[in-house]
Amino acid sequence: MIEKHLMRLRARDNVSAHEEQAIRDAMLDPVDVAARTTIIRAGQLLSTSTMLLEGLMCRYKDLRNGERQITELHVAGDFVDLHSFSLKRLDHNIMALTPCRIAPVPHDRLTRITEEHAHLARMYWFSTNLDAAIHREWEVSLGRRSAISKTAHLFCELHVRLGLVGLADETSYDLKLTQVDIAECLGLTAVHVNRTLRDLREQGAVEFSKGRVTIGDMTKLRRIAEFEPAYLYLERQHE
Amino acid sequence: MMRRSDHMPLYYFHIHNGTGFTRDEEGQELSGPAEAHETALAGIRSLLADELEGGGIDLDGRIEITDSAGGAIRTVSFGQAVAVNPPGSKSR
Repeated sequence: MIEKHLMRLRARDNVSAHEEQAIRDAMLDPVDVAARTTIIRAGQLLSTSTMLLEGLMCRYKDLRNGERQITELHVAGDFVDLHSFSLKRLDHNIMALTPCRIAPVPHDRLTRITEEHAHLARMYWFSTNLDAAIHREWEVSLGRRSAISKTAHLFCELHVRLGLVGLADETSYDLKLTQVDIAECLGLTAVHVNRTLRDLREQGAVEFSKGRVTIGDMTKLRRIAEFEPAYLYLERQHE
Repeated sequence: MMRRSDHMPLYYFHIHNGTGFTRDEEGQELSGPAEAHETALAGIRSLLADELEGGGIDLDGRIEITDSAGGAIRTVSFGQAVAVNPPGSKSR
């Protein structure tokens, strides 16, 4: 059940059997969440964090004019709102974009992990730092990258992140998002995303169709995106 | 703007401009023709804003809005989406 979470942790560090058990002990029973359900609203007081076992989730904020900005995507294995353990409330909402399976982790059990499993606690500290790194990369995309470059960048990032948890092969992966979702990630309109996808397809870089991303030319895609995976801290750094 | 729901119809936004034709295979759930029109205008502005970053804009384009049966709802020309004041067009 937490295999993807363990794959993600073990991509960068060692997780002992003892630590693995501590993670399992911290989790409550999994809950299924329907697509398009907002599971956490900004400001609400939280006593659990959410581990994403299956599916895609996002963090987002809505503007008064009805526009939505998705500020990060979460894939299976991510500890979506580990942030709320220290923040106690979130400044943004969290929504399931596809049907999801989640496991709540009560904050008092996370406290116990910080007290009894210092190395695991540092791994979770790393995890929130990684979220910050991803946010910085999205800032660069939203503020500076062209439409085609930031669209390409999102496909590159998700290829790496889904690959880490066994959900992408060399050149393709499932991505059950709409063009509206992509637009809300990138600060574009769906019309513009559609036009941009055509560009990427005609250049042979990547095709996104019917919930599947197929990368035709990885070198070209990464060049268009100016994608440098260093911000995903993929190197192993076990202690 | 309304968010997506099970009860809203799908509208498709097919783009014709200087770079050719871009079919919309996916569509968007919207409350009705008025919101579809607004969505087309916002889409055109988003396309043109990107183009302008490159130093020029091509207003010779249009979006054809269709319903899920392929029936034409309306056509929105790029020119309808922006008001252009040529240099010197305002009296001093």
